[in-house]
Amino acid sequence: MESYGNGGSVMVGLRGVCKRFGKLEVLRGVDLEIKKGEVVCVLGPSGSGKSTLLRCVNLLEPPEEGDIHLEGRSICKGPGSGTGEQSWELDFVRQRVGIVFQQFNLFPHKSALENVTLAQEKVLGRSAAEARKKGAELLERVGLGDKLDEYPERLSGGQQQRVAIARALAMDPHVMLFDEVTSALDPELVKEVLDVMRELAEEGMTMMVVTHEIGFAREVADRVIFMDGGVIVEEGPPAQVLESPREERTKQFLGLVLER
Amino acid sequence: MQELINQYFDVGFMADHFDEVLEGFWFTIQLSIVAGVLSLVWGLVLAQLRQLPGRGAAPLRFATIAYIDVFRGIPLLIMILLISGSVPLLDFLPEWLRIPQWFGKPDNFWFGVFAITITYGAYMAEVYRSGIESVPQGQMEAARSLGMNHRQAMRYVIVPQAVRKVFAPLLNDFIALMKDTTLVSAIALSEVALVGRDLQSQFLNSSGLILGAIMFLVVTLPLARLVDKLIAREQGRFTRGAPRMEAL
Repeated sequence: MESYGNGGSVMVGLRGVCKRFGKLEVLRGVDLEIKKGEVVCVLGPSGSGKSTLLRCVNLLEPPEEGDIHLEGRSICKGPGSGTGEQSWELDFVRQRVGIVFQQFNLFPHKSALENVTLAQEKVLGRSAAEARKKGAELLERVGLGDKLDEYPERLSGGQQQRVAIARALAMDPHVMLFDEVTSALDPELVKEVLDVMRELAEEGMTMMVVTHEIGFAREVADRVIFMDGGVIVEEGPPAQVLESPREERTKQFLGLVLER
Repeated sequence: MQELINQYFDVGFMADHFDEVLEGFWFTIQLSIVAGVLSLVWGLVLAQLRQLPGRGAAPLRFATIAYIDVFRGIPLLIMILLISGSVPLLDFLPEWLRIPQWFGKPDNFWFGVFAITITYGAYMAEVYRSGIESVPQGQMEAARSLGMNHRQAMRYVIVPQAVRKVFAPLLNDFIALMKDTTLVSAIALSEVALVGRDLQSQFLNSSGLILGAIMFLVVTLPLARLVDKLIAREQGRFTRGAPRMEAL
């Protein structure tokens, strides 16, 4: 618990987080604090460990070493966790952290509305009417009020991703994780998803966003983190990291990305 | 030629014994439906036990895999004989299980049902497993991330998708099961094959068996066509572009 409990201003805290896949060291000691209401964008080349870092925060990939705190409580059981067994940590985390994936991962056998209501009913125990009301409101909010009964295969990628965001928001998360949510989208569909995320940021949601959208990071992020080789290479306000990076590696990466 | 027709396709003989054969076939249908439904359920239970997560469930997983391997490898006829020949003699079992007479069916009916369910449950478990494994990993991740536990994720997200995918192969197994119910004739259960065989030995004519075979075809052919349709539909779904991954 220690220093994390202070005033509850730190939402997520990571200390010395390490993660290996077999012999591959994907995270090699990551320290990070995210404050309530903060929007943190994580940039980096593929294989830098940024998605793994994100997935560590909601224990989809439990770290082997180090500690992760959420709202002042340690959520790591240490080595050997992540065997798939249910635990209070898992319940604690999954009730507070929402995640949106690159591949949407909507439930294809459920309509848009059912995607948003299923976990409300089964996990939070809301009544069907309550869940439906909340689901319809959220879909309305992401601009899909007319698509409630459509099945995912009949929605565009951008629409599917907005359903996925609504589905995560329906659980009233305190933190939202976004894992390259626009990378699988056609360019013309990227904006509609980023607009929803921007609104969410303006409303004060605590967000951790792994992205290649430099423009979004510059505009929306409170802080930008650049990762490479499983460590945080550089972090700071977007203007500093993106416009005048200190580290050679960051300059190189941004040069390559902005050249596109 | 005439001899061949008389031996196998004696229409007059078939007409004379139609009712007996039909009665035997009706028995076959009942056996198929009861054993088929139980196998479907038992197979799904086995498939889920096999997929249980966590180290604590390892012994159960191992036992399930062993069960599936063993009972897929034992001929159904041997299972039928093992059960019907010895279960009634196991005095430690309660009588309702030793000599089951549920729903007015004779004990041999239920021994047949047990043997078929034990064997076909193992087959169907493997079919379900292939379906479960064909559901993308991201579905489980999405369900778990929303706070569902493993059981809820299986029940509401994974299994409904898996069953849809394996409906056709399950139906195939059901057709095979139906045909295999004729093996219970070995324990003197008067289903269609035994009726046909009795007629054969009594009148030295196989037309009764052919009649039984025709009754099978009347049921299995439409089922086989249905399987083809379902497979075509499933493939149609896929080529219509179910995974919309724009940039990939």
